[in-house]
Formats: sequence, structure tokens, C-alpha cells
Amino acid sequence: MDAIAVPQPQELDGLDDEVFRQVVRQFLRDNYPEDLRNPPKRLHWDENKVWYHKLAEKGWLCPGWPKEHGGLGLSPAKQIILSEEYERHGVARTNDHGIVMLGPLVIRYGTEEQKQRFLPKILTGEHVWCQGYSEPNAGSDLAALRTEAVLDGDHYVVNGQKTWTTLATDANWIFLLVRTDKQAKKQEGISFLLVDMKSPGITVRPIINLELHDEFCEVFFDNVRVPKENLVGQPNKGWDMAKALLGFERIFIGAPRQSAYALSRLRTLADRMGVWDEADFQDRYARLRLDLEDLKALYGVYVAKLKRGEQLGPDVSMLKVIQTELFQRITDTMLEIGGENAGLLEPMEGNRDLNIGGLFIQARPATIYGGSNEIQRNILSKNVLGLPG
Amino acid sequence: MSAALDDTDRAESIRMIRDSAAAVAPPGGDLKRVRALRFTDPGYDRGTLRQMGEMGWIGLRVPEERGGAGLGMGEACALAEALGAGLAPEPLIPCALSAGLLAALDSAGPLDALLAGETVALTAWQERADTLDAPGTADAPRRFVPMASGADTFLVPVREGGKLALYAQPASGADVAIERTQDGGNLGTLRPNIGGAEKLAGDAEAALAAALDEAALATGAYLLGVMERAFAMTTDYLKTRQQFGRIIGTFQALQHRAADLSMQIALTRASVEAAAASLDAGATGDARRAVVSRAKARAAEASMLVTRGCVQLSGGIGYTDDYDVGLYLRKAMVLANQYGSAALHRRRFMALVPESDE
Ligand SMILES: Cc1cc2nc3c(=O)[nH]c(=O)nc-3n(C[C@H](O)[C@H](O)[C@H](O)COP(=O)(O)OP(=O)(O)OC[C@H]3O[C@@H](n4cnc5c(N)ncnc54)[C@H](O)[C@@H]3O)c2cc1C
Repeated sequence: MDAIAVPQPQELDGLDDEVFRQVVRQFLRDNYPEDLRNPPKRLHWDENKVWYHKLAEKGWLCPGWPKEHGGLGLSPAKQIILSEEYERHGVARTNDHGIVMLGPLVIRYGTEEQKQRFLPKILTGEHVWCQGYSEPNAGSDLAALRTEAVLDGDHYVVNGQKTWTTLATDANWIFLLVRTDKQAKKQEGISFLLVDMKSPGITVRPIINLELHDEFCEVFFDNVRVPKENLVGQPNKGWDMAKALLGFERIFIGAPRQSAYALSRLRTLADRMGVWDEADFQDRYARLRLDLEDLKALYGVYVAKLKRGEQLGPDVSMLKVIQTELFQRITDTMLEIGGENAGLLEPMEGNRDLNIGGLFIQARPATIYGGSNEIQRNILSKNVLGLPG
Repeated sequence: MSAALDDTDRAESIRMIRDSAAAVAPPGGDLKRVRALRFTDPGYDRGTLRQMGEMGWIGLRVPEERGGAGLGMGEACALAEALGAGLAPEPLIPCALSAGLLAALDSAGPLDALLAGETVALTAWQERADTLDAPGTADAPRRFVPMASGADTFLVPVREGGKLALYAQPASGADVAIERTQDGGNLGTLRPNIGGAEKLAGDAEAALAAALDEAALATGAYLLGVMERAFAMTTDYLKTRQQFGRIIGTFQALQHRAADLSMQIALTRASVEAAAASLDAGATGDARRAVVSRAKARAAEASMLVTRGCVQLSGGIGYTDDYDVGLYLRKAMVLANQYGSAALHRRRFMALVPESDE
């Protein structure tokens, strides 16, 4: 294969889409560490920071951010191409909470000072972020959160507990939803606070998940002092901002990435199991493939809205439901055609591409996190369809 | 023999089996023992297996004159169901398969020690994934031998002339590769060495096919226990967990979901019990195989639906290893395709029972 020249990051946005795809392939061939292709489990910072730093060094870290903040400012179509090519190459997910969630929020709601202070450090990898929303008694009912922040001079004093905090052991910063007014209606007393995880009084305890992996954590706050300039937006207005961010999260989870990856694994498994001759399998595969194509089309519609600067409405919930349930159906199919191999703990025949049980388990929580699919359906039926109740 | 029992005696016999199962898998008991054995070798407790032997479970289906308890498939399924509810990791079903096979032959080999739970004899018949056929290729690796890491003897079918002979190969010195499974157990691949094996029988084909069918049905019953217990835990959770100031079980979306899962469990129970009754009534040939396939197809599919659904209904806690629902999901992942996947059994059923126009 002839190498092609990879242009400067600012120029990527202007390339023809097909040229851009070739450029991404070249970029991955040149830069992506071979041993990180298709890891069987989500990588920790220690394992994937090489790649994160490489992306940072090349200026490729934040494809969706505007160029003036150090992003690539890519069009929706190009963002889809990028994620397709990452998937195809087996690129591992990084610790991306800063890139995908916090960055866009600060760009939209942060002060100039906050932008200067936080965005560059996401871009260099100096700050690795995690998301502290959920609590033991505030999951689907997030607005019931009780972790409180009380103003004491120039600081907020934070007490409480977060849980299911993904990759908190890797992070050095956490963005929190905290209660700053206990008297107000529950959505109206919540603020958005940025906390240095090195602050005294923070304890992080990993939880072993169903993959037998220490991916999410409990995070405890005991009189943690946080400078008051770390509050983003107005005090007690955190809920609305967080909701806007949930829109970003839904479109992120709604991206065809996971399903596309799973479908390619299903293909490999079908080759290995020799099931392509079965009419039943052909039909099932065709259905999954068309579901994926249509999901891509729908995803494109939402990304285009974002690009035009439109707010995403509550209907973005459908993207999350469709993507995560497709991801699950694909891995269910893998389990069903894999025979006894489906029960193996390690990838079949030592081949990372044939990680049937592992991928099946990874697909389970997708319908729980980011707002469970039951909650998304409630949103669709009430806020989009206008059904009473 | 069991088929001669009348209905009342039958129900009593099944009740006694359920009660005795509580010794190993107490209803609603905690899973400390099960957790402690996960990902160890052999992945189960030899003492408990011996206890199962002493209680007559390994030879439950073996005729009394061959040293078994001579009970029916109804009892075997009730027992498997109770063990599934408690996630007992001991390889009772694979051992019972070997016992059934040996008891049907003239030369019993290690039958007595197997029935006593002293010797673990596993039948190494499978040459590829998702099949019920044992071609008996002399030197082909035998795949997916359940809980092979604790085996003392492998029973290896080998095609000789037109017949399927049976050999016993000692596990010590055998070439066995062990792979761990999601439930904390293991599967083995044996490269047979027939040179060093003892020939037990010249024609074991029919006996093996019959034993495999009983193992498939018992696995369906075990999966029934798995889904019932996971579902019971989940409905308990739906009755206590609060969000939005309400018990989450009051949300109609979850109520419907739970109702759907309960229907799958009811269908599985009906199918498994009907199959067991049919075997106990003396069904043979295609009729016997068809009911087994119907039950295993249902159990395989329903167990995945139910355990997946239970994780979903539990929310974040359902995705932790500490929460027991996950153990049930992992067990279903391993057993759903053992002794034939749902698709295999559906295909077999259709081949055995073609549609008629009447
Ligand atoms: C892998 C993983 C990673 C996560 N990472 C993070 C993270 O980094 N940061 C973070 O803050 N959180 C994280 N979470 C938490 C996640 O957001 C919550 O698990 C989720 O919001 C559900 O809350 P819960 O677990 O308390 O379940 P519950 O809210 O208790 O839900 C239990 C069940 O009830 C259903 N339910 C609840 N309310 C309703 C209703 N009104 N109508 C119908 N059904 C309902 C739910 O859908 C679910 O099936 C993560 C979760 C997982 C599984």
C-alpha cells in the first residue's frame, strides 16, 4: 500500500470525504500501537495513555471541538468516517470523559478563565476526567442526588458519595453534580462543580464489574474543599447544563461505533463457525446489517443538527435506544451461534476478534448507563409523543 | 421401575428429591460456596460430589440392578432444577451421562466408583461445537468436556467398523487442555490416546445417544432453576428499590417486562416437565428425541432472555460481580449451548416432527 501524506490537523476538515478516509487509515497505520488493537476489555489510563498522548501530540484528540479551542472542527460526515475507521482498525477507547463530555460543556457554559484553565489540559492529557453524577439512591432519579456542597468563604465543602464512576481510579479530576440548595425543588438546587481528585478527603474504591474488571468505582467525599471558581455556570443551575450534557452523552452512545464493531466480530465468528450457508443465519445477519446502516443514517441526521448549531431535543433518546439494543442483539447472536465457545472466559482460540462472552457482557450495561433505556422510552413517550402521564 | 409409579407416589418421590437437594443447594441459600469455588481447580468440591453419589444422585436414573436408584426423568429434572437454583458447580449432569452410558453396556468399567462419587468419569464424545453427533474419529480432539479439570477417567467413543466402540482412558497422563468458562468452571480438550485405553464395549452408539438426550433435558431443567432463582431475586428487588419516590416495581414498563419473563419461565417449566413425563411414560425413538429438543430449545432461549432481563431490571448493581444475578447470567451463558443450542434443537425438532396437513 502506498503511503499518503497526512495533512496538518487544521486542514483535515477541508478534505474530500473519501480522501479524508484514506488519510485516517494512513494516520492509524503510522501511529496506532499494534498491541492495543481490539483490547478484550476497556483499557486503563496506564495502558492507553501512549495512544492518548500520541493523539494529543498530533492534534487529533478532539475531533468534534471547534478549531479555536484546539479541536479538529470536523463535519458530521467526517466524524462518522473517523469513528468507522477507528472501529475498523480496532482502536481502543481512551479515557474520554474530558473530550466527549466536559470539554463541550465548558466550551458552552464556562467562563473565559475556565476555558483557558481546563481545555488545554484536556488537550495535553494532563487532566484525566471522570463523571460523578450517580449515587446509590440517585440513579435513574438523578435529581434526587444528595452529595452536598456548602459555601464556606471562598470554598465549597463537599460531603457525600458518588457511585458507578467509570475509571475514577485513573482520573485526576472529576466533574460533579452537587446539591447546593436543600430547600429548593430538587432540580433547582443542583450545581456543577469541578474537583481535583488530589484534594484531601476523597476516597476512591473500585468495584469489580460483570466483566470481572475494576472499571467503575465508588467515590467518597469527606469535607472536601473546592475553590468556588470551580463552579461552572450559575449556582443552582447545574441541572439544566447537565441535561444538555446528557444530550451529548446520548449522541455519543448513540453513535454506531459499538454496533459496527460488534457486527464485524459477528462476521468473523460466522466465518469461523461456518454458518453462512444457513438461510436462517443469512436473514438474521442481513437484518442486523440493515439495522446498522439505518442507524448510521439516523445518527448522521443528529450530528448534522449539532453542526448547524441546533440544540438536540429529547428525541435524541431514540438514538441511544436503537444503538444499544442493536449492539446487544448482535452480541446475542454471537452467543447463539458460538456453541460451547460462547461460555469461554477468554477469547476463543486465543483470538481477540472471537471474544464472544466478553463482548456479550460488555453489551449488557449499554442499556443501563447514560440513562437507562426505560428512562429513554419514558422521555420519548412523554416529551416527544406528548402522551399524558 | 419409576414408570410404574402412580401419580401420587410420583409427586411424593419428586418432593423427596427436592427436599434432599436442599442439602447441597438450600433454597434461597447464599452463594458463598459457589463463589469460593469459581475459577479454581477443579472448579467444584469433590466432597460434595461424593455426597451426591452417596445420596444416589449420580445413579438416579440407573436401574437398581446396576447399582442405581432406578428413578425417573421427573425426579432427575426436579433435582437438576434445584441444583440450578443454587448454582451447584459439581458436574452431576456429565457424571450422570457417563453413568447412564455405562449402565447400558455389558462391561460397566468404572460404573460403581462413578455412582459412589469416588471416580469422576467424563464422556469425551464431542468433536466440534454445537452438535449431538459423536463421529468417533479415533485421533480427533474431543472438545468441550465439561469440568474436565477434575476428571479421573475419560470415556471415549471410537468408530470401529460400522460401530461406535467405547474406551476408558485414565486422565492421568492424558493430553488435556483446560479453558476456563464464564461461570468459573472449565471445559477440556482431550487428545485421545486409544493405545493406552481399555475397551469397554463394541457398540455404544444407541446408549450414548440416549444418555446425551437425558443430559440435554437435565440441562434444560438446571437452566429452569437458574432462571427461576434469578427472577425471584429480581422481583424482590423490584419490590424494594426506590427511585422517583416510588418502589420501582410500580412502574408499568417494569411490570410488563417482569410479566413477560414470568411467561417464559412458565413455558420452560411446562416444556421440561412434559418432556420428563413423556420419557417416564416410555417414549422412544423420534418421539423421545423431539420432546427433549423442544424442552432444551425453550430452556436455552428463555434462560438467556430471563437472566439478561434480570440484569437490566436491576440497573447498575446488576452489572457488578458482587450482585448474585450476574452469577446466574454467567451460568446461563455456559449451559445454554451445552448439549445443543436452541437453534440446533429447533432444527432437530422440525426434522423429527415434520408438519402434517391434518
Ligand atoms: C457500566 C456503567 C458505567 C457507568 N458509569 C457512570 C459514570 O461514569 N458516572 C456516573 O455518574 N454514573 C455512571 N453509571 C451509572 C448509571 O448512570 C446508572 O446506573 C443509571 O442511571 C441507572 O441507575 P441505577 O443503577 O441506580 O438503576 P435504577 O435507577 O435503580 O434502575 C433500576 C431499574 O429500574 C428502571 N427504572 C427506574 N426508574 C424507572 C422509571 N421511572 N420507569 C421505568 N423504569 C424505571 C431502570 O431502567 C432499571 O431497569 C454507570 C453505570 C454503568 C452500568
